[in-house]
Amino acid sequence: MIKIRSIMTKDVITIQPGSTIKEAAQLISAKSVSGLVVVENSKPIAIVSENDIIKGVTSNKKTVRDVMSREFMIISPSAKFFEINRRLREGKIKRFPVVENDRLIGLITETDIIQATRDFTRFHQIVQEAILAIFGFATAFFLFYFSPIRALVFG
Amino acid sequence: MARVSKIMLTDVPTLKKEAKIEKAAKLLAQIQVGCVVIVENKDPVGIVTELDLVRFAVSKGKSLKEPLTSIMSSPLTLMTPDMKLDEALKIIDTKKFRKYPVVENGALVGLATKKDVVNAISDNMRFHRNIQNIVLILFVLFELFVFVIGRYIPQYLAFWA
Repeated sequence: MIKIRSIMTKDVITIQPGSTIKEAAQLISAKSVSGLVVVENSKPIAIVSENDIIKGVTSNKKTVRDVMSREFMIISPSAKFFEINRRLREGKIKRFPVVENDRLIGLITETDIIQATRDFTRFHQIVQEAILAIFGFATAFFLFYFSPIRALVFG
Repeated sequence: MARVSKIMLTDVPTLKKEAKIEKAAKLLAQIQVGCVVIVENKDPVGIVTELDLVRFAVSKGKSLKEPLTSIMSSPLTLMTPDMKLDEALKIIDTKKFRKYPVVENGALVGLATKKDVVNAISDNMRFHRNIQNIVLILFVLFELFVFVIGRYIPQYLAFWA
């Protein structure tokens, strides 16, 4: 089972709703992230993505408050990975701030989910190959047990 | 294993090489894809992502009237429609990009994203794993059955002896 705590981004970049779009753009390009969490009184209230910034630039908006979107879902660190993956794949929600005891402790983005799925696939391939190997040996033993070779070898 | 042509996005947002940055910004603000491929007579020459545009918005001394080629990423890492998904995954693991234009005979035919490739492989694996496990269980049951029959049943069936 994939733990949310182990795949989330721990140092979340946050911004105030009153900040300018330019500040947000600077943060995004300096930290190379795909979006920021807008916080007010240390509570996540919205998301600013790259797309929101571009919308803001083309329509001459000034502050983060004008372009931020509310397409996010607050989750707890005990949330199920597959539940989040399903939500990501079916809908518009791409960012999941992780909140524990009223405190923002991390952020799950599309990138984290895809990378975790990729690593999980690799892990499963190894497990599956190990299972195949064990059954392969079992079958070899079975065939040996019932074949005349056994009588030849052990009499 | 499925091929790239099965999972690629076919209506790729494209812009001509001569287009201005302003046009790309307006296009990207409307669509959800997150990138636009720059083409020259159907031949992809570069890609502009949302991050490129955000970086542009921060940089000083550049105007929206400048040509797109000044901020585009180039050269491109391309895929072909008949490429297998695990080959595509190998490229994704080494290149670390998220979007790859798909090219057939020099012309742009689609866009493959990391998300789609990874999800397709994950689904494919889950499906095959289930089938494989069912086959394995049937096989073991068969082995047990033969083992029991071979060992104990003959003495009850050997009425001809």
